[in-house]
Amino acid sequence: MKFGNLLIAGITTGSIYAMFAVCVSVWYRVSNILNLAVGDFAMVGALGVDNLYRVKGLPLPVAVVTTLVVVAVFAYVYDQVVLRIAQDGRRPIEGIVVTFFFTFALSFFIDGAAKVLFGTDVHAAPTLWSGPALTLGSLNFERAGLLVLACAIIIGGAFWLYIRFTLGGKALEASGENSTGARIVGIDTRQYRRLIFVGTAVIAAVFGIVESPITGFTYLSGATISLTGFLAAAYGGFRKPGRALVAGLFIGVLEAMLGGYVSTQYGDTVLYAILAAAILAWPRALGFESAVSG
Amino acid sequence: MTGDETAAPTAPAPAAAALTVRNLSVTYGNVVAVHGATFTVTEGDACAITGPNGNGKSSILMGVTGMVRRHGEVTIFGTPARNGDVRWAARHGLTLVPERRQLYPDLTTADNILLGCYTWTRSIGKARRSDSYTRAVDLFPELKPHLKQAAGTLSGGQQQMVAIARGLAAAPKILAVDEPCLGLAEAIAKRVYDVLAQIHADGTTLIVVEEAPRRALALCNRRVEVRNGMAGAA
Repeated sequence: MKFGNLLIAGITTGSIYAMFAVCVSVWYRVSNILNLAVGDFAMVGALGVDNLYRVKGLPLPVAVVTTLVVVAVFAYVYDQVVLRIAQDGRRPIEGIVVTFFFTFALSFFIDGAAKVLFGTDVHAAPTLWSGPALTLGSLNFERAGLLVLACAIIIGGAFWLYIRFTLGGKALEASGENSTGARIVGIDTRQYRRLIFVGTAVIAAVFGIVESPITGFTYLSGATISLTGFLAAAYGGFRKPGRALVAGLFIGVLEAMLGGYVSTQYGDTVLYAILAAAILAWPRALGFESAVSG
Repeated sequence: MTGDETAAPTAPAPAAAALTVRNLSVTYGNVVAVHGATFTVTEGDACAITGPNGNGKSSILMGVTGMVRRHGEVTIFGTPARNGDVRWAARHGLTLVPERRQLYPDLTTADNILLGCYTWTRSIGKARRSDSYTRAVDLFPELKPHLKQAAGTLSGGQQQMVAIARGLAAAPKILAVDEPCLGLAEAIAKRVYDVLAQIHADGTTLIVVEEAPRRALALCNRRVEVRNGMAGAA
């Protein structure tokens, strides 16, 4: 059952990519800013919990809650100070500087702070659900992987329900589609930008905490996570969370299959070659033309 | 586009004033779009704001509703309106149906209309059950087969109807409609005006911005003429 186990591993990794891609695309829809720091919030989640639990000796639930609160407060303050000045002033800054620069700078800032606070070694948050792998016939299910999947289903599902079935969710979509039209009915687009930025930072931190026992994190791990989320989000023109989710899952499964059947050494090279070829072959269908035209 | 202050139009009794505008000015950077506009709309009026293209008609509505910041004084039903606060204006009864509709193209027609209710509720259940939403949908039977269709795929006339319906879902006392017939075929434009007449007959105060005043004047009992960014009674 090599295929089955690879599929399970691929879906687990893919669900992580998918969640980061959803975080990137939902916030881009609302704010027109690409969050290149989303992976750094995941890294802070993992290393923050590890530091508070292992080094400072706090109980695990306290360490988790404290880390998530710190991430939320930091994201809120960042929005209030930097993004507010950049976008909400009398002369809002537009274009590529806002789209990339502020979150790119934030990513470097968080990396630097994490290096000072957590050092350069590989660490991981403690496993929240420990024990031997669960088996079903010849299929193996890592507990940490199941936890990641459960988080993806719960958080992704809650998010879908919010967008689909609440007026707030529809207002969020409306802000992304037409900010002038949104203002007309009294939607505060800045409030949604802030809400989603803080929300996705916390979600990223949660995923960092549950994922880190599988992969391990250093202060530099954030950039790689952001990149994969960014790539999967691109497969929907950065504006379609549903497509970003499917793309994230697909990339995860493809990566696992290539690693299992083609080459562990060159798996990533083949993976990115396939992804690039797909973009060249079907740019419109995959949403890349809309990504370019914004 | 600047000039001396215009004379104020006839002032009706203050108690009946739905909207009072005094010395309204709107500027975009160094460009003055509206200068010293002064007029009053009485409750129950249908008021046409007319004038040539590019003379500041739409900017008056944008300034009054708070879509852009303004100088001057605006009161809605006697309460001074907050500058640049569309939500405040909508919650106090003044709703804008903007030029070029400003819909949410990927959302369904029903969701576009439903979001008009966002001005007064956050509950989707209350919004769906509300009289204002039901009235907005019922007023346009031609939209009923398209309620689940993405608004961006509707025809121009249908999109204008959705924009008006969204405005009505906000339960306005004053509905300000900017260029409702821009780019529409004559038959559709007539239908839009029939609906506006019905909305007015149901008791909603109406402000209509029109470049070509013929149709608007058939509906409206008052007219504000805008020339070179200055407005006055005509």
